[in-house]
Amino acid sequence: MDKDNKVIVVHELTKKFGNFTAVDHISFEVHHGEIFGFLGANGAGKTTAMKILCGLSLPTSGGGTVNGFDLCREQEKIKRNIGYMSQKFSLYADLKVWENIRLFGGIYGLSSKVIREKTESMLHNLNMTDLRNELVGDLPLGWKQKLAFSIALIHEPGIVFLDEPTGGVDPETRRLFWEMIYETASHGTTIFVTTHYMDEAEYCDRVSIMVDGVIADLDAPAILKERYQAADMDAVFRQLAQKAKRQ
Amino acid sequence: MTLWYLLEKEFKQFFRDPGLPKMAIAFPVLMMLVFPFAVSMEIRNINLVVVDENRSEVSSELIHTCTASGYFNLVEVCSSPERAMDLMDRNRADAILTIGSDLDRKLGRGEDLPIGIKVNTINGTKGSIGAGYLTSSVRQFYARKNAGQGEGVASPSLDVSPKYYFNPFLDYMKFMVPALIVIAITMLTGFFPALNIVSEKERGTIEQINVTPVRRSAFVLCKMIPYWLVAFFVLSACLLIAWLVYGYSCAGSVCLMYLFTAFNIMVTAGMGLLISNYSDNAQQAMFITWFFMMVFMLVSGIFTPIASIPSWAKALTYLNPMRYYAEAMRAIYMKGSTFLDLWKDALGLLAIGSVMIAWAILSYRKTN
Repeated sequence: MDKDNKVIVVHELTKKFGNFTAVDHISFEVHHGEIFGFLGANGAGKTTAMKILCGLSLPTSGGGTVNGFDLCREQEKIKRNIGYMSQKFSLYADLKVWENIRLFGGIYGLSSKVIREKTESMLHNLNMTDLRNELVGDLPLGWKQKLAFSIALIHEPGIVFLDEPTGGVDPETRRLFWEMIYETASHGTTIFVTTHYMDEAEYCDRVSIMVDGVIADLDAPAILKERYQAADMDAVFRQLAQKAKRQ
Repeated sequence: MTLWYLLEKEFKQFFRDPGLPKMAIAFPVLMMLVFPFAVSMEIRNINLVVVDENRSEVSSELIHTCTASGYFNLVEVCSSPERAMDLMDRNRADAILTIGSDLDRKLGRGEDLPIGIKVNTINGTKGSIGAGYLTSSVRQFYARKNAGQGEGVASPSLDVSPKYYFNPFLDYMKFMVPALIVIAITMLTGFFPALNIVSEKERGTIEQINVTPVRRSAFVLCKMIPYWLVAFFVLSACLLIAWLVYGYSCAGSVCLMYLFTAFNIMVTAGMGLLISNYSDNAQQAMFITWFFMMVFMLVSGIFTPIASIPSWAKALTYLNPMRYYAEAMRAIYMKGSTFLDLWKDALGLLAIGSVMIAWAILSYRKTN
């Protein structure tokens, strides 16, 4: 892992909604090719922070860069080189599998020849060749999430943001999903992932734990466990999340 | 080229929707087959009570003249005015015709006739039109009687014969056909795009779009183009039904109707998209769209002439896109107006449309 190659740099990032400070002066860096776990209880500010990083939301103060592009001024440039998959399943349910692939390929400016090739290889890798003509809305959740992840990678982005990608998915599909994540990271794509499953946190290269809009701690899982004298990430998370004052 | 992929998506979604294509077909059919009858302002079936104090051959001839006009239902012929008033009080009579006891005598001498007309004007339109019909029936009767007697008695009535242009039989249905087309197209193309964007918001797919580098003008345009075609379909269907069912055809250029429809969609679809940008859910979008549609429709000149509203309100109608569209469509359909006659309406639609679309694109935020 190339430690000097920072793909995300955030400094004193803050987002306020009225009197409520959702994200409170957070600073961190994410390195090229790493799997970065972004943990926190519900309402800790994870999703808000992630939306700023994806260019969906503007910070109230502070700033940073993603792939070298400014968070406050160059959102559209950021969007060209990131993939995004949200907890809310967001492919078009009334389009078929191949039509969703084609649509997002087209949106990212791929040629129709490239889209055709990508469709074939994607369906093959996902074992979904027979399902190409199914409406996406008719697929089981696990399949949908795997498809959504693959589509988020269609334009070969440098970073992919996954917002609770495995929420509500069965354990076996979760395992397969993480295999896909590892596979993707091994090709040099940076993974920025939020999750509520602490076993998944163990799979990350580094994790940050957000409490009440601030980053309570950030390090590799092994170091965190040692620091908090905990057997697993679950215990680490509980110790930190207990300090939360806001519900 | 992104535009092409987005359009493909919109069309597929439109045709796969369980309701939209059916609505696009049912709406014009319903509008053209049912509403021309329902919105008719022709007054028929006026309930008439006659107080006949004369009871002569002459008086029954007068009654016959009135009922033969086809506008009246003869409820009762009675002898006392009190009985007639009672019927009107109980809402069984719309008009009372009183025939004095000396009608046959006076008619022979050419004196003023003892005939009275009373009208129930709770419904003002029905009342005044009823009075008009009744007066003209009496006049007709009087003229015939005088001619029959051949004594050069000066007629007390002034004979006015109006000449009606463009709609010689004052056919209300023909007048309403272009107006109903205007309503159908405005409703469909106003509601559909608004609901479309709001449903993307509700399902969360808009977030997936916002995180891509797609240009917002491309996204907004793609939400509008399909409804252009829907509107052309609706217009064609309406014109066809009007021709097949009622035998009406457009007096002017049909192409011009399509052109004005295209202009109008800039306004309605632009407005729908604009409203959806400010609404978080479908109900909100529906209510706001509905509010504007109602206001536009009521002061568009579709149901009531703009010329008869107070001047301050008249000034406001220049902001109403439907006014321009309705005026143009009616003029083309009824009297064959050309573009040169209607350039002001075109300008009005284009101006409002450009503002709507520009505002819709600018207010669509990919980053909040």
